[in-house]
Amino acid sequence: MKHPHLYKKIVASLCLGLACHASFAADSALDLSVPAASASPKSFMLASNDSGVPAANVAPAAAAEFSEPWMSGDKLHQYMGWTTLALVAATALSAPGEGCEGAACANAPVQPRQTNGAHAKFAKAAAFMAAATVTSGLIDHWDDFHVEDGFTDPDNLHAMLGTAGALMMMYAVNKSANSTVPVSHAGIAELGGVAMAVAIKLTW
Amino acid sequence: MLKKFKIIALLSSALFLANSALAGETTADWLLSFERMKNFKPVTDKTYAKECGECHFAYPAGLLPSASWEKLLNATALKNHFGDNAEMDAATLERVLDYATNNAAEKSWYKRARKIANSDQTPLRITELRYIKRVHEEIPAKMIKDNKDVKSLSMCNACHTQAAKGVFDSDTVNIPNFPDYN
Repeated sequence: MKHPHLYKKIVASLCLGLACHASFAADSALDLSVPAASASPKSFMLASNDSGVPAANVAPAAAAEFSEPWMSGDKLHQYMGWTTLALVAATALSAPGEGCEGAACANAPVQPRQTNGAHAKFAKAAAFMAAATVTSGLIDHWDDFHVEDGFTDPDNLHAMLGTAGALMMMYAVNKSANSTVPVSHAGIAELGGVAMAVAIKLTW
Repeated sequence: MLKKFKIIALLSSALFLANSALAGETTADWLLSFERMKNFKPVTDKTYAKECGECHFAYPAGLLPSASWEKLLNATALKNHFGDNAEMDAATLERVLDYATNNAAEKSWYKRARKIANSDQTPLRITELRYIKRVHEEIPAKMIKDNKDVKSLSMCNACHTQAAKGVFDSDTVNIPNFPDYN
């Protein structure tokens, strides 16, 4: 196997594609045919207190027996977000020592740099999962983002913080992976993890 | 450098938490709670549930801002409540109004209620809210108005199977006569 990483990337891409497809499947099952009478912009929105139904006199129809689908785009996005946080925690817990700063480095023993240990693997998995989570969110919840709702809208904040968190994690992984000497990357990675956690809390 | 980034991360987190804590009385409850607050707080007041639920679905109070509830729930307005007389005695009305305004959209930490509060609208009808219109705008008339088991967008619980629990997620939608919607 001449290029083992190439195969890994292909498999990862396929997994991401499958995940995105799963989150999109619900939409493809929807019957989007619109009767001619309801094709105009106004007609679908019967905001129907005005539709001639005297709301106060009509007993609400009882919802039929119904069980939620075991998997959906929304659920997939949720599970991926939790998995990202779990991987972030595993990355933090598996981090090697604190390193050294300033004058203390002069006396510090030179350690061989590990770039393929548990910490690096967890970090790469966390960054990948964060990117996949953002992707699935953009696909499944695209209609929930509206600029007109402003900066304080919880869905807009969720999207911005989640995306920023994923980017910070990827930056931290890239910074460390492409360096021949130990570099400070924990702060930005931790900030990314916190941004992800806050993003989840905002819409939990 | 490592410590510097950690300090920045911790300060940013602390700043965010402090800012949230100053935003309202229930912020700490929201922040420390693991309870899902994605939708609306379900109706918890028996009087509100009984008085409103006698004629229609007892809508979670977070579906409207308090200014809307005040316009709706007063003796004059209830004499003609969307075409019906929904009068109630003064004590009951006060209790219902208190519950509705104390749990109105702008006083709730539930996500969908916050979205409604952010819209700065105070309509009389829930269906006039921009957010409610937007999330239903792609549903054709045949599924609501022309659906004999729904008839109106105001019949939340006809399709939202967990509306009574305040849950309006798309996964819980079951449009009568259109089983494949989801």
